[in-house]
Amino acid sequence: MTPILLMSLIIFLPTLGAFLLAWFDKKAEEAMRVFALAITIGTFFLTLQLYGVFDASKGLLTDGGENLGQLIVTEPWIPHWNIEYKLGVDGISMPLLLLTSFTCLLAMAASWSIKKQVKGYLILFLLLETGMLGVFLSLDFFLFYVFWEVMLLPMYFLIGVWGGPRKEYAAIKFFLYTLAGSVLMLIAMLMFYFDSDSLGNDRVFDLLRLAQLAKHADGLDPVLQQTAFVLLFIGFAIKLPAFPFHTWLPDAHVEAPTPISMILAGVLLKMGGYGIIRIAFPLCPYGAQWAAWALVAIGAFSIIYGAFAAMAQTDFKRLVAYSSVSHMGYVLIGMAVWAIHAETGELIGGDYWLMGINGAMFQMLAHGVSSAGMFFIVGVIYDRVHHRDLNKFGGLAGKMPLYTGLAAGIFFAGLGLPGLCGFIGEVFVVLSAWNYDKLLAIIAAAGVILTAGYILWAIQRVFLGPEYKGPHPEALSPMNGREIAIAVAVLFFAVLLGVYPMCMLGMMEPTLADLTKELQIGYENARDLIPVATEVLTEK
Amino acid sequence: MSFETLTQEIDCTRETLKWLLTVAWLLPLFGFVVEVFGGYWGDRKCKYASYFAVFCIASGFICSSAAMIVWQDKTEWGERSAASSGHGAVAHAAAEHTEAVGNHEYQMPTSFTGSFYSLGKFGDLEVSLDYYIDSLTLVMFVMVTLIATCIHLFAIGYMRDELTDDYVDHQVHTSDGGHFHRPGRFYRFFSYMSLFSFSMLGLVLAGNIFQVFIFWELVGICSYLLIGFYVERKSASTAANKAFIMNRVGDFGFLIGLMVLWTYFGTFSFVTVDQTGQSDGGLFYMVRGHDGELQVDEEANAVTLHTNSEVPQQIPYYLLVVAGLGIFAGCIGKSAQFPLQTWLPDAMEGPTPVSALVHSATMVAAGVYLAGRFFPMFTPEVLLTIAYVGCITLFLAATIAVVATDIKRVLAYSTISQLGYMMLGIGVFGWGAGLFHLITHAFFKSLMFLASGSVIVGCHHEQEMPKMGGLWRKMPVTAFTMLIGVIAISGLAIPGSQLLFGEILAFSGFHSKDAIVASAMTFVSVNPVHFLLYIVPLVTAGITAFYMFRLWFYTFVGEPRDKEIHDHAQESPWIMILPLIVLSVFAAGVAVGGESGQLFKLLGDSEPIGVAAGTTDAGMIGLNLPGHAAIHQHHASAGVQALLVAFAGAVIAFLFYGARVVDPAEIKRNLGGLHNFLVEKWRFDELYDVMFVRPVHVIAAGCTWFDRTIIDGVLHGTVKIAIWMSGWHRRFDEGIVDGLVNLVGNSTFAFGRSLRVFQTGQLRQYIMFIAVGVLTLFVLLFIAFPK
Repeated sequence: MTPILLMSLIIFLPTLGAFLLAWFDKKAEEAMRVFALAITIGTFFLTLQLYGVFDASKGLLTDGGENLGQLIVTEPWIPHWNIEYKLGVDGISMPLLLLTSFTCLLAMAASWSIKKQVKGYLILFLLLETGMLGVFLSLDFFLFYVFWEVMLLPMYFLIGVWGGPRKEYAAIKFFLYTLAGSVLMLIAMLMFYFDSDSLGNDRVFDLLRLAQLAKHADGLDPVLQQTAFVLLFIGFAIKLPAFPFHTWLPDAHVEAPTPISMILAGVLLKMGGYGIIRIAFPLCPYGAQWAAWALVAIGAFSIIYGAFAAMAQTDFKRLVAYSSVSHMGYVLIGMAVWAIHAETGELIGGDYWLMGINGAMFQMLAHGVSSAGMFFIVGVIYDRVHHRDLNKFGGLAGKMPLYTGLAAGIFFAGLGLPGLCGFIGEVFVVLSAWNYDKLLAIIAAAGVILTAGYILWAIQRVFLGPEYKGPHPEALSPMNGREIAIAVAVLFFAVLLGVYPMCMLGMMEPTLADLTKELQIGYENARDLIPVATEVLTEK
Repeated sequence: MSFETLTQEIDCTRETLKWLLTVAWLLPLFGFVVEVFGGYWGDRKCKYASYFAVFCIASGFICSSAAMIVWQDKTEWGERSAASSGHGAVAHAAAEHTEAVGNHEYQMPTSFTGSFYSLGKFGDLEVSLDYYIDSLTLVMFVMVTLIATCIHLFAIGYMRDELTDDYVDHQVHTSDGGHFHRPGRFYRFFSYMSLFSFSMLGLVLAGNIFQVFIFWELVGICSYLLIGFYVERKSASTAANKAFIMNRVGDFGFLIGLMVLWTYFGTFSFVTVDQTGQSDGGLFYMVRGHDGELQVDEEANAVTLHTNSEVPQQIPYYLLVVAGLGIFAGCIGKSAQFPLQTWLPDAMEGPTPVSALVHSATMVAAGVYLAGRFFPMFTPEVLLTIAYVGCITLFLAATIAVVATDIKRVLAYSTISQLGYMMLGIGVFGWGAGLFHLITHAFFKSLMFLASGSVIVGCHHEQEMPKMGGLWRKMPVTAFTMLIGVIAISGLAIPGSQLLFGEILAFSGFHSKDAIVASAMTFVSVNPVHFLLYIVPLVTAGITAFYMFRLWFYTFVGEPRDKEIHDHAQESPWIMILPLIVLSVFAAGVAVGGESGQLFKLLGDSEPIGVAAGTTDAGMIGLNLPGHAAIHQHHASAGVQALLVAFAGAVIAFLFYGARVVDPAEIKRNLGGLHNFLVEKWRFDELYDVMFVRPVHVIAAGCTWFDRTIIDGVLHGTVKIAIWMSGWHRRFDEGIVDGLVNLVGNSTFAFGRSLRVFQTGQLRQYIMFIAVGVLTLFVLLFIAFPK
C-alpha cells in the first residue's frame, strides 16, 4: 500500500464506516455496534501497518523530507491559496496515532452501554475518530484546522445528546471554550500565512515550510513569533487543559458518557500537547523560548491545583477529571524546560531538555492509557448503580474482587507507581526540570504527595470497607467478559509502558532530538534580530 | 596471575553472581503472578499458594547462599580485608589498584556492576536498570531471603484461618449488627508477600539510585497492600493510606535529591567498574575519587568532581548537602524516623507476619541500608543530621514503648528506636556498626514479632498485654525463643566471660549495639559539643532493656490476669514453632565473634573508602570523624557502660513486672501527665492533623471554590453580557433590519415550506445530514479545486 493510500485510509476509513452505517436499519443495534467496532479495529490495524513502515531513525519531519525517505505525502488541494493535502508521520505523531486508534477501539468496545439513538451515536463516534486521526496526520495548517473543527462538532453532540443530566450546559461550555481556542488558532494561522512570503516565495500553510522559515534568520519576525505563540498557546492550553482554562473539563467529563470520557481524556487532551509540540514550538521558537518560564510555571501550578481540586471532589468522575488537569501539567513542564544562557543564548544542558520533551510525550501516552482506564473503571460502576458519589460507595473489593484488582492497578498507574506507565513520564519530566528552574521543579515534585493522597483516599472510599453504602446494591454484578477485556488491555499497556518505556521512547527520541536542535537554531537566529527590532521600534 | 586470567576470572565471577542473584530476585515475582491468578480461580481451602511462595523464596535463599559462597571463596573468607594484600582474584584487583595509586592505606571495596536494560536514553544521559553486587548486597540478600523464608513458613500456620470460604472478621460489624463474612484470602496474602520479596530484593540489587527509588516505591505499595490486608477494617485501610502517604512525603525529598544528582552528575550509577574492578565512573567515584576525599574548591564553594572529561565539573557544596539531605529524607520516611515516625505503629494493623517481615526486618531497614549504601555521597553536615535524627528517634520511640500495652505496638516502637540506633551509628561515622545492627536487628526483631504472633494466635487474637501473663507454661517454646530475642535486643552479655572463653559471651544484639555505642562515644570524644549523641543512646539502652523485659515479664510470667484467655491459650503448631527456633539460633549467633567475626568482616569489605581512616575538621562545620583505630580505643569502656545500663534496665523491669516489688500503677498515678503524654505518642498525630491534614482539605475546598465561583463566574458573566448585548442587537435587528429582511424572508419562506419534509426533528436524521455533509464538503472541495 502506498503511503498516501495508507494514511488517507487511516483517516477516512471511519468516515466511510459512518457513511455505511447510515444505511443500516436502526433496529439492528447489535449489528451496527459490531460493524462500528470492526471499523475501529480495522483502523487500528491500519495504524499498526503504518507503524510497520515507519522508521524512527529518520527523525523529525522536515521540508523536503520526502526525498530523505521520510513518510510525507503531498497532494495539492486548493492551489489558489497554496493549501495542500499534506500528511506525514514522525516520532511525535506515530505514538499518538497508535494511542488514538487504540483508545477508539477500547472506547468503541465500551460503547455497548449506550442504549439511546445507537445509530447516531456510532456515526458521530466514527466521524470524531476521523477528526482526531486527521489532526495527528496533517502537515498543512489549514488541513489541521479543518480536522480540528471536524472533531469539535461530533464531540458537541456526543456530550449534548448522550450525556448526563446537565449535558446541555456541559456541551455548550465545551463548545465555547474550544471555539475560543480555535479562533485564536485561526488568527495565528492567518498571521503565519500572510507573513510566510518573507523570503520572496509564495504564501503557504505548509507546517514544514513555516517551521523552516521560523528557523531561518530572516524568516519570521520575532515579535510576530511572540504574539503568535501566545495565541497558539492559549488555543492549545484550553485543550490540554492548563489552569486557568480547564473548567470545561470537569463538566464535560462528568456529563459525557463513559466511552466519550475515555476518548476525551485519552486522546482529545493530547491534541493540546501535540499542537504545542508540532505547531507552536517549531513555528515560533523565539516565542516559545520567551514564554518558556510561564509554561513551566503554569504546568507546575496546574499539577498542584488539579491535585488539590481532585482531593475535594465527591463525584468520582470529577475527581478523575481533575486528576487529568494535574497530570497534564507535567506535559507542559517537560516541553518547556528549555534552559538557555541569559546573555549568550546558548543551550544549557540540552540533554535535560530533550529528556523533558521525551518525558512530556511519554506522559501524554501514559495519561492516555491510565486516564482512559480510570474513566472506564468509573463507567463500569456507574452503569451498575447509576451514581458516582464517592461517599456512597465502599466494600466493592468484597463484592467485585476482579474489578477491584484491575481498578487498583489502573489507579496505581495514575498514581505514578513504578512499573506502571504514569511513573516514567512524571519522573522524567521532574528530573529534567531542575536544570531549568529549581523552585518550579520542587513544586512539580510536590505533586507526588498530593496525588498519592487523593487517589488512595478515593480507593479507600470506593473499594475498601465492609459494606456498600449507596443505592442499588443488588446491581453490583461482576464485570462481564467485554469489560474485563477492556480493563485488562488497559492494564497490560500500563505495565508494558511502565516496565519497558523504550518501546515508545525509542520511537520518539530521534525525532525529538532533531526538534530540540532545530528549535535552538531558530531561537538563536531570531535572537540575533532582536536588538535591530528594538532599534527600529524606538526610532518610530 | 596475568592480567588476562585476572579479568577473565572477574568476568566469570560477575556473571555467576549476577545470575544467581537475578534468579533469587525474579523468582518471587513469578511466584506473585502464579499465586495471584492461580489463587483467584483456585480453591480457597488449598494451601498451594503458600507452598509456591515458600518454594520461590527458599530457592531464592539457596541462590543467595550460593552467591555468598562464591563470593567468600573468591575473597578467601574474609581474610582479604584483614590482610594488607590479598591473594584472591578480586583481591588482586583491589591490591593492584592500590599499588597503582601508591597508597596502601585505602582499599577499594570490590564490587561488581553491570546493566540489565535501558529505560531511556537522551543524548549522553541514560537511565537504566543496573545491578551492583558487593558484600553488603550479598549479606542483605541472604538475610532477606532467610528471614522471609522463615516468615513465609510461619505464615502458613498464622494465616490458616483464611483457608475457608466463609471467614468471619470479628473486628468488623455490618449494619445489621452481625460480624462480617467473606471468603478467605490465604492466596492473596502469599501473593502480596511474594511481590514484596521481589521488590525488596530488587531494592538491594539496584545498581543506581534511581532504581533504588523505583523499588523503594514498590516496597511502599506492597507495604500498603499488606497493612491494608483486612480491607474491610477502616483502621487498616486508614493505616495503609497513612503509611503510603507519609512515605511519599519522604520520597518528595528523595525526588529532590535525585533531581540535584541528575542535574549535576548526569548519572545515577553508584559506581561503574572497568574490567579490572577499578572504579571509573558513577556517583561515588565522581565525588570521592580513589582516595575518599572530597575535593572542595574553597573559592567557588563547590566540590570538584572526578571525571574523565577535560572540562572540570563542579557541584555547589550546598547542593551536595541538599542532595544528601533529600535522599536521607526518603530514608526518614521509609525507616520511620523522626519526624515521620508515626506511620509505623499504625502499620501494625497488618497481619503479624507482615509486621515481622516488612515492618521490622526488611523494608523499614531499607532506609538504613540506603543511608549506608549512599554513605560516600554524604557530607559531614548530612552525617550530623543523620546522627541527630537517629538520636531523637531512638529516645522518643523508646519512651513511648515504655507505656504501650499492645504487644505488637511495643515491638513497633522498639523497631523505630532500634532503627534510630542504626541511623545514629551511620551518622557518627560508625558505618560498619550501623549496618551490623541492621542485620542482627533483622533477626532478633523478626523473631520477636513472630513470637508475638504465636502469642496472639495462642490467645485467640488478643494483643493487649494486661490481659496476658503466665503464658510461659502454656507456650514454653514461644516464651523461650522470645526471651532470646529480648536478651539480644537488650544487649545483655555475661560479664567476665571473655576472660574464660577469650571473647565475651553474648547474643547478637550486644555486639552490634556495643559497636554503635563505641562509635558514638568516640565521636563525642572528638566532638565534645555533640555530647548528647552519646548520652541519649546510652540512657536509651537502659530504657530498651526495661521495656523489652517488661514485655516479656508482662506476657509470660506472673499470674494470669485474664483467666479465660489463659485457659484457652496453647502452644502454636510446629510450622510456626520451627521458624522461631531457626530465627532464635540466628538471633543468638549471627554476630558471633563481634567485630572480628565473619559477619562484620564481610560487611567491612563493602566499607566506603576513607571510613577506616577517619578525617578531621571535615566539611563546612568542621566535624571530626573518627577512624577505626580511635573507635577501637573506646570500645572496651563503651561496652562496659552500655552493659551496666542495660543490666540496670533489666533489673528495674524485673522489680516492676517480674518480682512485682514496685507497683507500676503507683508510678503511673504519680506521673499521670507524663504518662498520658507518652500514651498519646507525644501528640504527633494531633499536631500533624492540625498542621497538615486539615489545611490540605481547606486548600482543596478553596481550589474547588475558585473553579466554580471565580473562573466559571467570569465565564458565566461574559456569556450573560454577550446575551444582554445580543438582546439589544435583537431590538435593532427586529426593528430595522428585519423590516427589510422580512421582505426577502417571506419569499424565502415559501421555498422553505417545500423543504419542510426534511425537518423531521429526528436527531438521527440530522446526524446523518452532518455525516453526508462532511463527506460532500470534502468531495466538493476536491472537485472544485482539482490541483
